[in-house]
Formats: sequence, C-alpha cells, structure tokens
Amino acid sequence: MATGSKLRRAPSIRGRLVVYLLLPLVLLLVASIWADHKTFVTPLYDAFDRALSHTAVAIAAHLERGKDGQLYLEKPPFGPRHPPGNEPPPPDDVFGNHDKSPERFVARNGPAVWRRLFPGARDSFLYRVSLPDGRTLIGDEGLPIAQGNNAVGDFSFSDATYRQLVLRIASYRTQVDGQAVIVSVGETVNRRSHAVRRLDTVIGISDGIQLLLVLGLCLFGITVALRPINRLRERIAERQPQSLQPLPLEPVPSEVRPLVQSLNTLLTTVRDAAQAQQHFLTNAAHQLRTPLTGLKAQLEVLASETHDEAQQERIARLYGSVDRLAHTASQLLALARAEPSTHSPGDFTDVQLEALIGTVADAMLDRTIARDIDLGAECAPAHVRGVHWLLHELLINLVDNAIRHTPDGGRITLRCGMHGHAPYLEVEDSGPGIPPAERERVRERFYSTAGKEGQSSGLGLAIVEEIARGHQARFEILDALEGTGARMRVEFRPAAAKE
Amino acid sequence: MRILLVEDDPLVSDAIVRGLATAGYVVDAVTDAESVQSRLDTTHYDLAIVDLGLPGEDGFTLVRRLRRDGSSLPLLIVTARDGLDDRVNALDLGADDYLVKPFALPELAARCRALIRRATAATANEMTVGQLRIDLAGRRAMDNAGRVLELTRREWSILECLAHHSGRVVSKERLIQAIVSWDEEISGNAIEVHVSRLRAKLGESATVRGIRGLGYRLDDA
Repeated sequence: MATGSKLRRAPSIRGRLVVYLLLPLVLLLVASIWADHKTFVTPLYDAFDRALSHTAVAIAAHLERGKDGQLYLEKPPFGPRHPPGNEPPPPDDVFGNHDKSPERFVARNGPAVWRRLFPGARDSFLYRVSLPDGRTLIGDEGLPIAQGNNAVGDFSFSDATYRQLVLRIASYRTQVDGQAVIVSVGETVNRRSHAVRRLDTVIGISDGIQLLLVLGLCLFGITVALRPINRLRERIAERQPQSLQPLPLEPVPSEVRPLVQSLNTLLTTVRDAAQAQQHFLTNAAHQLRTPLTGLKAQLEVLASETHDEAQQERIARLYGSVDRLAHTASQLLALARAEPSTHSPGDFTDVQLEALIGTVADAMLDRTIARDIDLGAECAPAHVRGVHWLLHELLINLVDNAIRHTPDGGRITLRCGMHGHAPYLEVEDSGPGIPPAERERVRERFYSTAGKEGQSSGLGLAIVEEIARGHQARFEILDALEGTGARMRVEFRPAAAKE
Repeated sequence: MRILLVEDDPLVSDAIVRGLATAGYVVDAVTDAESVQSRLDTTHYDLAIVDLGLPGEDGFTLVRRLRRDGSSLPLLIVTARDGLDDRVNALDLGADDYLVKPFALPELAARCRALIRRATAATANEMTVGQLRIDLAGRRAMDNAGRVLELTRREWSILECLAHHSGRVVSKERLIQAIVSWDEEISGNAIEVHVSRLRAKLGESATVRGIRGLGYRLDDA
C-alpha cells in the first residue's frame, strides 16, 4: 500500500526524540571535557612551575664566587649530561664520568649542558646562569630567559622552543655575594603533557560513561513514555475497519487526548453522516418504490381488463418502461446502500454460501423457467464473514445479469466452494461472453449492454463490484468453463482472516 | 378467500384489490393500522397483507400487536425497504412472508396462494396444488379427475414434503430426511428414482420440477 510506505518513511517520534537528545548530549560531552580540562590544567601547570622554580633556587644556592671573582657552580645538583633522546641508564656517579671536579665541570662551560632533573624522569633539563646584561656565566648560553619585572627574588615563567625542544622556562632573579644573577632553568614538557593527556583520558572515559548512562536512561524513558501511544495504536489496529465507535479517552495521555478527541469527533461526524444517508435512502426507497409499485400494478390490472389488442400492446410497452424504471431505482438504491461506509461491523455475520445460492436460485427460478433456461448449482460447503443482505444482493445481480445475457433454452450455473482457503461464488452463463477488452468497462456504472430482456440499468456489475470491495473480495470476469459464456467470480479473503 | 390489505397508498391499494380480485380473492382495504382490529373483530380473513411504512402505527408494531394478542392470521409483509434487518425483524415478530416493492401482481398472488395453502394445510389438513388435492390427514392425493393416486410410502412422503414447501425448492438432503428413518440409508440416486415414479403418477395434475444441483419444486402443472 502506497500510504503505508509513505507513513513508514515519515520520521517517528521516537527517532526524533533520540536525534534531538543525542546531538545535544554529544555536544555537552565535548563541552564538559573541555571545561574539566581547563579546570585542572592551570593548577597542574602551577604545580609543575613551582617545582621548576625550586630547581632554579637550588642552582642559585650552589653558586659561589671563585678566587678570580668569577661565579662558579660549586657542586652541580644534577645527574650526568646527555643529549635528549640518547640517555644511558642513570650512572652511579651523579657528577658524571668525565668531570670529577666542580671546577673543571664549570670551566668546561659547554654550549649544551643536559641534565636530568630526577633519575628516571622523562624530561630533559637545561640551565643557564647569566648576568642582567645578558652574559652567560655558566650553563647553556642559548637558553631563553623568561621575561618579568627585574625585582630580586622574583620568578618569571615562559614557554619557548629551543633546539627543536618545547621548553618551559623558569627564571629566578637573585644576588650571589652582591652580584645580581638570573638563574634560568628549562624543562621539556613531556611530563606535564603526559599528565594532562592521562587526566584528559580519564575525564573523557568517565564523561563518556556518564553520557551513555544518560542516553540509556533517555531511551528507556522514551520507550516507557511512548507506551500509551503504542497501546492506542494497537487498539486502533484491533478495530474492525468499518467500526465508527469512538475511541475510549480513559487510558490516553493528556498530550494525545486532543488528537483522540478530534478523531472521535470525526468518527461521530462520519457515523452521523452514514446514519443520515441510511435514513435518506430508506425514505427515498419508500418514496420511489411505492408509486412505482402502484403504477406497475395498475398497468397490470389495466392490461387484464382491456380486450383491445392495440391498447394491450401499448400498455405492455408502458409496463416495460415502468418496470425498467423500477429496476433502475432499485439498483441505484442498492448501489448507494452497498457503499462500504454505510454498514457497521455488527452487520457482518457468518454467511453460508450454499444456503445463499439456494435462496437466490429460488427467487430467480420463475424467471428462468419462463425463458426455459436451465438454472442449476454446483455447491461445496463454504462460508464467509459478510453482510447477508449485501451478499444476497450481489448474487441476485450476478444471476440477473446472467439471465439477461443468456439465450432462451440456455444454461446458468451457480457455484460456491473453497479455492484453497478462499471461499468463492461463481455464476456461469451460456451467453455470448464478454470480450477481455470490455471486462473492465462493464463494471463501470451505467455501462449498459443490450441483453435478451432489453436494456439493463448498467448498474448490476457496478453493485457487484462495490459489494465485493466492501467485503475485501475480488470480482473477476472470466471465460466460461464450457461454451462461450461468461463466468463471474467473486473470491473472498481466506477464511482465516476475520474481517 | 378473504384478504385484509393494510396499505396507505391509494394507487397501490386499488391495484392490489383489483389484481387479487381477478385471482379469485376478496380484498378489503384499510389505510391505517388502527382500523385493523375492528375489521378483524367483525370479519374472518384468511390472510392480511401489511405495508410496513404506514402512517401512525407502523407495520412492525401492528404485526407485534397481532401476534401478542394470539392471532394466527397469516401475515404477508410488503415493504419498500430491502435491508436484511427489516426482513429479520418482520419475520421474527411473527410475519409469515415478506415481499419487497416494486413487485408484480402475479408474484403477490402466488405468495398469497402459498401462505393460504400452508395455513389451510395446518387447520383443514388439506391442500391443493394445481389440480392436485392432497388430503394430509388421510395420507392420500387425488388427481384432476378425482382419482386417488396409488402411492408408495416413500412417494407419499416425498409428495407431502414438497407440498408443504410448494413453490419452493426442496433439497435432496431434505427429501432424504423426510422419507427415511434414522437407521436407514438412501442414496441421491434412489431419490431420483422415487421422484420420477411420483412424477409419472401425478400426470397432468401437478409437476415435480428437478432443479440441477439444488433439489425439486412442486409446481402447478
């Protein structure tokens, strides 16, 4: 069904809720990770900076003035010098293998003095002791100095890149024996980046778990919240398609209640309209049929009372016209009453097709006997769920149509039975049949063909089509099993289906 | 035979009175349900034809009232409505038959004849189908010449069953049930044999028509 697939493609409330919750929740996760990162990274960096400044202080404490008036680092507080990335395991001798005396070590004053701050630490460490005028006394003379106010005892910090190393620099301004010096220490940022990464990971995982929990709870909540709507949907699906009973408002959540109320208003309107239509049809039937009955009966009486042959012939023609008018009126009323919207589920009962064929054949027998048509039946037990009088009307119209198109002395056979699980009704005649090209058109309203009994109303097969539709049955026009005639077949839905 | 017609439309009423008169019935027509009782009190009727759509008290109410008062008068309902509900209602309330407008006068006459025949069969134990006279109490049938037909027990049972439903198709199964007791078995072919013998014996007085796949119908010859 086209509408079904169209409905399926439309977004579901559940899907929308999930999308509208999921997107903000993911954004929220990113924002909270960012906020947490910002919150911890400053104190963490402060702590690292403080440790770095302590190192600068320690270096300053080891400075002393030599005999030549120069400042020397009396005793390096650090491990051996090695270029970064190529460190051997920490040696036993803290002062290095080749520099036994502090004098020699200081005098060497190499351009790159790498030191490890702690044994096993990941970071490489550089230092520089310089004068305020920029001259380097000891250490790595290229190491940048963190700018700050030049007050004695002050620390300043900065980030710098030196020898392709990202460094954090701490500069300590102090005085050694009355000489103002700047002790700068630089440390690669491995350790702090590592700490930040670890914290970021931990925060990411815990926030992610939180998000998943919230999402799960949301999904659960959505499912629970949508349950009344699902129940409503099931209740609507369980109803008979023809049911116009209002839906109960009681277990419906307040948000959906207006919807159900509107639906009920619509149902009531439709039901009222259907009732009004039924009422109208009943009145119309009475107003049309009663005078037609009178007219027909009066003409019959007139014909029997008159002996003038010419007059009798005129009366017979008149009677034929009135009869056709009466037939058309009946057919129109039947067509209107066959409208599927006008019957309620209460009208549907179990209808035995054999018994139906018996009743209809009984009613049509006099007409067929008058035309010497052999009307017979081939019945197997079958029953359908349907509106009895409509199925009666359906079969009457099929037989009426067959009688009209069957020549005198012909043959009409009514059949019923089961085709697999599907009950069927069939009327076969020995008339000229209907060419395949015309089979669709003859079901149209007022498509009239001249039959043996004069012009038909052109509504008979339209009524059959309409009633079959109301019973979800298929109406087919086929070739007769024997001879040239037509075989009209109405196949109902398999018996297992209740509707 | 006297028939009471309750019909408000003068054209229909007039035509029915005249049409049934040619069929040999005397018809008294009234136009509303209220005047029915006084007619029934003073005159004996064999049948009442009641239109459902009457002004004032409608046909349903009239049928219900008559049956409640214990009347056994055969009732034929005539209506312009064709819904099943009406039919079921009318028959449930105690009407004997139902005819939808517009009908042809011969059809109405045939229904009247069948209803009166059935009612007579119940009271007088006698029936006439065509020229065949059936004495239900005496279990014998006489042809148009007044000769008593020589019928076997089974042929008589078949005739009796067909006569009770004369003008209607009676299925083979029903005939089998009518002629055999519970411990006997009989085939459809056997029924055909009995029916053809019965048909021969009836001669010109009445006819048993075989309807392919449906059963038999007893008709006037």
